[in-house]
Amino acid sequence: MSLQLAKLIPWLPALSAVVCGICCIKRPLRKLAAPVCVLSILAGFVITLGIQSHVTGHHEGGAVGQTVTLFEWVHAGSFHVDMAYYLDPLTIVMLFVVTGIGTLVALYASGYMAGDRGYARFFAYVSIFIFAMTTLVLADNLVLLYLGWEGVGLCSYLLIGFYYQKPSAVAAAKKAFIVNRIGDLGFALGIFLTFHHFGQVTYTDIFNAAALYHAHGVEVPWTVQLIPYLLMLGAFGKSAQIPLYVWLPDAMEGPTPVSALIHAATMVTAGVYMIARLTPLFMLSPGALELVAIVGCVTALFAGTIALCQYDIKRIYAYSTISQLGYMFLGVGVLCTSGAVFHLFTHAFFKALLFLTAGSVMHALAGQLDLRKMSGLRRKMPVTCWLMFAGCLALAGFPFTAGFYSKDEILAAVMEKGLTEHSALYITLAVLGLFTAFLTAFYTFRLWFRVFMGPEKYEMGEEHHSDEDSHTTQDAAHGSTSGGIEVAHHHEPHEMPLFPMNLPLVVLAAGALLAGVLGHRWMAHMIGSSSAAVVSQVAEHGEAATETTHHLTLLPGVDLHTSMMIISSVIAVLGIVLAAYYHWLNRPAADRLASQFKGLVTLLANKYYIDEINDAVIVKPLNLLGQVFFAVDQLIVMGLVQFVGFVPRALGLSIQPTQQGKLQGYGLGMAAGAAIIALLVVMAMH
Amino acid sequence: MSVMADKLAGVWPEITLGLGACVCMALGLAKASSTRKLTSWVAGLFLLLSGVLAIAGPQPTSGLILPPQMVLYVKLAVVAVGVVLLLVAAQLPSSWRATHRAEEGIEPFDPANVMRGEFFAFFLFSLAGVMLTTTANDLVWLFLSLELVSLPTYVMVATSQDRIRAQESAVKYFFLGALAVAVFLYGFTLIYGATGFTDLSRVQSAAATTTSPLLTLGIVLAIVGISFKIAAVPMHFYTADVYQGAATPVTAFLAFVPKTAGFVAIIILLSMLPQWPTHGPIMWLLWIMAALTMTVGNVMGLLQTSVKRTLAYSSIAHSGYLLVGLLAGPALLTSGGGGSGAIGNGIAAVLFYLVAYALSTIGAFAVLGCVQVDGHEADSFDDISGLSTKHPGLAAVMLVCVLSLVGLPPLLGFIGKIYLFGSAMAHRGENPAFVWLVVVAVLNSAVSAVYYLRIIGACYFGKPSGRTEPQHCPSRRIAALVCGIAVVVMGVAGNRLVTLARESSQLAQPSQQTPAKVVSDELPTDIHGG
Amino acid sequence: MNDIALAHYLFTGAVLFALGMVGFVTRRNMILMFLCTEMMFQGVVVSLVGFSRLHGNDTGQTFVIFVLTIAAAEAALALGLVVLLYRRKRTLDAGAWAELNG
Repeated sequence: MSLQLAKLIPWLPALSAVVCGICCIKRPLRKLAAPVCVLSILAGFVITLGIQSHVTGHHEGGAVGQTVTLFEWVHAGSFHVDMAYYLDPLTIVMLFVVTGIGTLVALYASGYMAGDRGYARFFAYVSIFIFAMTTLVLADNLVLLYLGWEGVGLCSYLLIGFYYQKPSAVAAAKKAFIVNRIGDLGFALGIFLTFHHFGQVTYTDIFNAAALYHAHGVEVPWTVQLIPYLLMLGAFGKSAQIPLYVWLPDAMEGPTPVSALIHAATMVTAGVYMIARLTPLFMLSPGALELVAIVGCVTALFAGTIALCQYDIKRIYAYSTISQLGYMFLGVGVLCTSGAVFHLFTHAFFKALLFLTAGSVMHALAGQLDLRKMSGLRRKMPVTCWLMFAGCLALAGFPFTAGFYSKDEILAAVMEKGLTEHSALYITLAVLGLFTAFLTAFYTFRLWFRVFMGPEKYEMGEEHHSDEDSHTTQDAAHGSTSGGIEVAHHHEPHEMPLFPMNLPLVVLAAGALLAGVLGHRWMAHMIGSSSAAVVSQVAEHGEAATETTHHLTLLPGVDLHTSMMIISSVIAVLGIVLAAYYHWLNRPAADRLASQFKGLVTLLANKYYIDEINDAVIVKPLNLLGQVFFAVDQLIVMGLVQFVGFVPRALGLSIQPTQQGKLQGYGLGMAAGAAIIALLVVMAMH
Repeated sequence: MSVMADKLAGVWPEITLGLGACVCMALGLAKASSTRKLTSWVAGLFLLLSGVLAIAGPQPTSGLILPPQMVLYVKLAVVAVGVVLLLVAAQLPSSWRATHRAEEGIEPFDPANVMRGEFFAFFLFSLAGVMLTTTANDLVWLFLSLELVSLPTYVMVATSQDRIRAQESAVKYFFLGALAVAVFLYGFTLIYGATGFTDLSRVQSAAATTTSPLLTLGIVLAIVGISFKIAAVPMHFYTADVYQGAATPVTAFLAFVPKTAGFVAIIILLSMLPQWPTHGPIMWLLWIMAALTMTVGNVMGLLQTSVKRTLAYSSIAHSGYLLVGLLAGPALLTSGGGGSGAIGNGIAAVLFYLVAYALSTIGAFAVLGCVQVDGHEADSFDDISGLSTKHPGLAAVMLVCVLSLVGLPPLLGFIGKIYLFGSAMAHRGENPAFVWLVVVAVLNSAVSAVYYLRIIGACYFGKPSGRTEPQHCPSRRIAALVCGIAVVVMGVAGNRLVTLARESSQLAQPSQQTPAKVVSDELPTDIHGG
Repeated sequence: MNDIALAHYLFTGAVLFALGMVGFVTRRNMILMFLCTEMMFQGVVVSLVGFSRLHGNDTGQTFVIFVLTIAAAEAALALGLVVLLYRRKRTLDAGAWAELNG
């Protein structure tokens, strides 16, 4: 299959967006939207499969990607930006994630969203999202990357606010948009600075320029060192890291498939992708990488603790996503890009699976998301129960599941760095990472045991399945989405139909369990031959380091990597067992424990009061400042604006009498105009 | 004889259009209504045929004032935009009650009342006029071709719809048009008087040797007269009334066809001068005309309650912008040829912007034409209020087209404005006054955004009025869609058109090379990026 | 002699042109207004003939033929239009057509 086909990957969904848009207008066609959308994404997946061998088999060792140019975009002086796609193994991995998970989620959504009024609109948004996301991934330069970046941001905004009659959804959408703007400001500045300094925005040019610094060992100027910090800000915003993570939990207001696709599997990983893609640039500034690692680790721990005490299923998963993204940043921070991207890859499977199964539960319980109001659903929803179990195992890092391999790779890399460089910082980070792994296992299974085990009892949500035309503001939300499924008639939890809803979940579950075993060598090969591969100085440095690595160990008799595996397995199992004790076998014990640490629990349940602190520290003073400015504005600026606005109008009013509609008047105007001009010209020439 | 053959070789597309017009007239007299309905198709066929001939047919070898590529560019632009205009106008004369009734068989067939054939004949004649303007090499030819553009439009305005305001606009258009013709004809006379030739190439060589005030006065009067066709101050008074009164498709026609002919004619006249006027009375005339035209257009646009009038004033304002590019003149770096030379070429910018403006404004007018209120075409802001709820597609086209008129990136109008204003900035080395003109233009663009946004606001945030009903004319919707798509697509990927416009505009002015070269060496090159 | 003749021609032409322009603005009857534009055309024609004599070639006079042709075409249009308008309003007063303004 020709590499040129890669051009189709973004544009088929774009076409699908147009078709879905038409379906949106022509209501009889609305059923068509889902198949069109699913097929367009699936086609992208098939193309990716086809071109994979071209990209990976092409070169040995070198990290050279191939560029496919769509058309020349902007050529102004020395500034060249083409609509061009850069294909290297990292791109292929990301394309697999985006199109693969995208297909499955879209398929699930075709059942989940059935009966919703915005059915076609939803798929139009999803198509645009896939278009933007694949553009982001395929871009061969920073400007195109930024275009995709903003595109996915826009789609995220549109999809969070999908139920636009719900005030909370609109507020969440706004929050996501604004927080992302802060990050994007940094990102945009980073791109400007890159262009300013390197004169180019194409990856290959930037990498070549960066390689020169490495090769010659020149002092890197501080302006260049600044670039990664600015780009990092964008990544933190998009991938919900401290301090810009606050939007992601609220983003769960969107339809659940959106949470799965955008806010767990794909878009939020764009920040990780960007840093991995620009590894050569980030390597120019060691401090930046250190900061990335620290922020990642702290975010992982921080979000993990919050997840312990939440009761809303989707929010727990949202915090867990933030926490897992933290791992990925920790990975890129220690230059273990292969581990980070691998974790991104496996995380996409199990987190999408978890969100979708959560969606099924919510669907079955008419919008109920509160852990305290459901229990023992395993008999009602056996398939969902075991699917979610698979996802939970992977997230908890149970041995030999996908999450186990990828998380372990990152933690081992951190520990290795700490031990080889005798850096207390990295050892601390590794230990914190292990502790977070324990928390992860605990809160994951807390949720699962609460929902599916124990005595069967449940309260239905408020959002009853209703006739689709009687949507009110309130029930425009999640639960009412199931009007199209047979469930609409009996109000009792039920299993989802195999097609189109459970089948994609089975595929995801298979991925969540097996992607680790099958994929970790493949991934190391893929990333090793991409631009994210860590080359030059570190490689040379590493030559010597490998010798010492073999002597490093934590447990007797095994090397560092294996010992980390053993430790994290033990930790994961411990977390699961504890969760089983407190949340299945002896629930009152959990409550007693909670009452003993009442303060801590309240603190965690209220998410460390971050939203409130933000409100008090940032929003309120800004509001106050805004009030002050407003007053100044009213007095001076508005006056000026009024004046500026008034001048053209006054000018217009003063010449309006020339347009009275009288033929003679117009004739006079023309004749006088011609005469005056002739006179002036004659005078000017004499 | 060979001269005759040579001249004929250049005008086959025009001859085709003329033939097409005759066929349309004949078809219009057919008794069967099905045959009469064919006229618009036949007109389209001949239009496309002339486009094919313009590309593939015999090319004129000599005797052109404008470079052959520019002639070809304008002809193709006329064909392309002409097809869109035809789509907008296709169902037009059937809204005449008499025609309609005759077709339905309610009233006996009366050729005097049936307009279809003639309308499309006039349509083709007028387009042929624009094409002939580009090939003009004689003052007589230029005069005749400009009249061929205008005379049919008078009839088209008068008969476009059966409303009293159409006739009012026709009377204004015709009488003021006649006045303007007399003015530019007097200018032509003075040009002839100053040089003794009507043959333009001889006028050019005569002007190169002697400078005569009479020639300058002649060119000034000619430009002032022709400014009626481009709706510029001081000949702009008719614009709003005529645009509002004519049926919307005809309004769209007026916004492109006479304007293009007028600009081409002014380019021809200015190329008579030994060098592009960067100083002296003609430069100041154009400077003041440009500044006044855009200011008048924009401030009057603010006061309107009718969308059509607003767009009419926007048409005036855009003529002002176009004059900026015209004033900047041809490229400084004739040898450049690379990717960055485009920005300095004012003529290329004008040619590009004519098409950009045409597509944007025709799209807007086509949307207006698709909506009916109380049996009439939509006109006021109330009429299109809440358009997006009932016709999201039409509202989207309106949005895109109007934003392109505002000049918002990345739409077509934005690129056009960049080239227009950029060309004037590139020439600031020749005359610092250009910078101030650009400042005026940018301020004007800001003012114009207010009334353009009012249109969008009405479409998207207004309360839908119950009285609007869609007009059944699929071709007009197609035209709107084509414009909307073109505005977006060409905006994003319009490099090709820019290149075409640039390649087509290497003016063959005799002594233009030398002084321009000198200046170009001193010109700071930072505008080309670095 | 030649020079004086040229000045006379041009002066006559210019006066005709100016009179036509003034007449266009001051007259209200549409037929008279149209005749005024015709007068402006005749001013042009006289100037053309004068220049033609000055330069001693025929091109100016050839131009005149074409100007007259166009003038005739305009006259035909004008009369048709005036008839149409008169039918609608039963008046030839140009001031009656001022519904569109602003």
